[in-house]
Amino acid sequence: MLATLLALVALGYPLALAFGLPLANRDRGDVRKWIQETAVAQAPDDLTPLLAGTGLVATADGERLAETSVAVLERRPLGHGAEDVAALTEAAAGAPLLVLSDPWGRPAEGVVAAPAAVLDGGLLAAALHALYLGEGRLVPGSLPSRERPDGQRTRFTFPASDAAGPVLVNGERLAAGAGFSEDGAAVVLARPAPFGADVRRMTGDAAILDAGAGTIALADEHGGGDVRSALAIVRLAERLEGASDGENRRFAAARTRLLDVDPSRVLMVEDRPLSAEAERPAERIDGVVRRVTFPSAAGVVVVDDVPLEPGVHYTRDGTSVVLTSPPPRNARVRQYPGAFLADPASGTFLLAEAPGPGERVWAERYTFHARPGCGETLLECFYALPQHPVPYPHWIAAGIVPFFSKYPVADERNALRATLYTTLGTLAALALGAAVGVLLAVNFVLMRPLEKAVFPWVIASQTVPIIALVPVLLLVLGNAGITIQTSIIPTALIGAYIAFFPVVVGTVKGLRSVDPLALDLMRSYAATPVHVFLKVRFPAAVPFLFTSLKLGTAAALVGALVAETESNNRRGLGFQILGQVQSGNVADVWILLLVSSLLGIGLVAVVGVAERLLAPWRRP
Amino acid sequence: MEPVVGDAGTGARGVNESSAVEGVSTDGMTPVSAADVIRAHALTKIFDAAGSRTVALEDADLAVRAGEFVSLIGPSGCGKTTLLRLVADLEAPTSGELEVTGRSAADARLARAYGYVFQSPVLYDWRTVQGNVMLPLEIMGFDRAERRRRAFDLLAMVGLGDFANRYPWQLSGGMQQRVSIARALAFDPKLLLMDEPFGALDEITREALNLELLRIWAATRKTILFVTHSISEAVFLSTRIVVMTARPGKIERVIDVDLPQPRGAETREYPRFFELEREVRESLRGTH
Repeated sequence: MLATLLALVALGYPLALAFGLPLANRDRGDVRKWIQETAVAQAPDDLTPLLAGTGLVATADGERLAETSVAVLERRPLGHGAEDVAALTEAAAGAPLLVLSDPWGRPAEGVVAAPAAVLDGGLLAAALHALYLGEGRLVPGSLPSRERPDGQRTRFTFPASDAAGPVLVNGERLAAGAGFSEDGAAVVLARPAPFGADVRRMTGDAAILDAGAGTIALADEHGGGDVRSALAIVRLAERLEGASDGENRRFAAARTRLLDVDPSRVLMVEDRPLSAEAERPAERIDGVVRRVTFPSAAGVVVVDDVPLEPGVHYTRDGTSVVLTSPPPRNARVRQYPGAFLADPASGTFLLAEAPGPGERVWAERYTFHARPGCGETLLECFYALPQHPVPYPHWIAAGIVPFFSKYPVADERNALRATLYTTLGTLAALALGAAVGVLLAVNFVLMRPLEKAVFPWVIASQTVPIIALVPVLLLVLGNAGITIQTSIIPTALIGAYIAFFPVVVGTVKGLRSVDPLALDLMRSYAATPVHVFLKVRFPAAVPFLFTSLKLGTAAALVGALVAETESNNRRGLGFQILGQVQSGNVADVWILLLVSSLLGIGLVAVVGVAERLLAPWRRP
Repeated sequence: MEPVVGDAGTGARGVNESSAVEGVSTDGMTPVSAADVIRAHALTKIFDAAGSRTVALEDADLAVRAGEFVSLIGPSGCGKTTLLRLVADLEAPTSGELEVTGRSAADARLARAYGYVFQSPVLYDWRTVQGNVMLPLEIMGFDRAERRRRAFDLLAMVGLGDFANRYPWQLSGGMQQRVSIARALAFDPKLLLMDEPFGALDEITREALNLELLRIWAATRKTILFVTHSISEAVFLSTRIVVMTARPGKIERVIDVDLPQPRGAETREYPRFFELEREVRESLRGTH
């Protein structure tokens, strides 16, 4: 028993390595993503700058000042508290806080929040942000009035009573107090809006819209300020001021895309979000050519996701890259323009594969995130992966106790209950199968014609795939009012269906195994056929019977498990195996397989003990 | 098949043709004595199987009187075992007459007139030694106390009193064969049919069991029909030796063994023992 266990474990590790690692490689993308998600999830207390380097700083008017030292903070909304502000300032090391614009990648005019203003006000959000897109200025979000202007009315109500922004009539802003007065959710215009005019009210963040300066002052509620605040404004923006309808449609499309992106997760470099569209070489990689040409003249070159070092692995000649050794045939050679080679010391990084529309841009090397919980290397993270097709034995071992104690014993999903249920089903199946098997075997031996007539059908019964038969059988039984939810009978029947076969074959063989001389001897005693059967044939068949019962036990267990997978009774190991397979809990599936195997070994051992007790004459 | 031409001196003393076939005349007309346990006349057994026809026994005449120890000896295929099985009604004769204890062989079997010992012990694995000896008694409806008593006595007689509760596999070959003999004697049949019971045993065990068999024979006064391959065993045990020839199986000659009773280990040293051995050997040789 111990030796078996050791052998299983010894076999388990190479198996896990042989099957696990290639799969791990194949799924490296998933692993990477997982690492990144882990990193983000674990980041909140860490304010390490994502990127410290040079950035573009501009005035509130959109005028470029200089390239200067900047810090891009963790990709998350900042909190509201003063400690955040202090930490932020410290992290930025006195540098102006860079806030970027134009998250969809076109050159932006730039927005800067002056740290002094931020701190003086005690509110990051007090910074003024102006958002431009190309030539157009973004118009913040607004709510249309409930009423339709008829050229007569002056009173309009708006859906949100707390919407306290300026009021626009046909895009023209009215001055509060002069152009309109407020009455809760209602606004009373100084003069009636023209018939069919668009009457709106600015919403949310845009407390002040300074058309002249081209800035939007943020409401204090978005205390986080910086990127998020800016993006929050963008999110509200509906169109470009003064833009044509066509431009605005394009803008709307871009806006939709933008809204899919969680701004707290966008990585920024300098004044633009990182874009890591991978460039493919113009040439095909044939394993011989070393010179590859890319569309652009800069970027990180990778071969099969391994970054190459310039000057060592390749030299650059404009858009051409000359590798020191030719890449393998059909290797994935890529260039990531605008990305930096990984260098933890200087805080630069390498980008992952290009993001699709609406996708996030991720840094492949997580060094710049908080360290992920899984570990320092990919292998460590592979070990820590919650799911894997071929887990290591010690993962399974570690999962057993939690698996069994996941649900209380009273719960039907409790693994111990499931094991017990399957045990009962197997025993019932075995009893039924053994009874039918022995009965058939006895009749076969007594009546040869019966065997000739029936045995082919017995064989045929075993060629029917049990998987195909089970639903039919369950349906038939269900019509008879016997369901697997209420009764163990279906499980027993299905188990017995495959368990009886070895019993028939073994018992027939056993009953025929009698030494002919032993039968001669009985004849010399003038024994009756009943005596011959009871005193010679049957005892002689007992060892065969027990051997076939052991086979039948294993078969009954398989039958019971299959029956349980087919049912919706939420009971038994079979159901649990199916459930865990479907939900992809690989380790739990392995535990269940282990439990099923141990159950099989245990039940067969019980049969063995019964044999030793009932047939003690066998040589031990 | 020439008649044996042996040494005149020994031949005259060792072979008594008339006494050997006493009770069974060559033409089958003479009535037999009431003491005959087995009486066969013109007994023939032919096996017909899938185109091959084997004459296992042809025209055998034999009479065995009560209390005799008759050995059947002959080369392989001479019909010794067939004759034994015919007597036991384990096979039916093709033709001829056969009476066992004054009845037809089938009736004799149904009357449980004989005990049969095979070359192999044929013990039932699932029964203890005692259980094996008691098996025929169970079948024949003896009560439990009687079964136990007889098994106890018989096992004591064959020297296995201490092994009553062992299983057959725990015994040596010789011990197993002694259990087999005890079992054959369990229901006290008049006739013991033994088919090379010691054939599979080594020489030492065989001689020990020969002595034991003689002792049992003397103690129980059974009539024994004994098949053997061993000349010395036949001479040592028998009162008469039936020498048989092969293909077709026939009775060649019947030799009286006039060694004194009771016999013991020293019997094997008698000059007469060697003479008889030679007698038998020459008879056998003459059959080829």
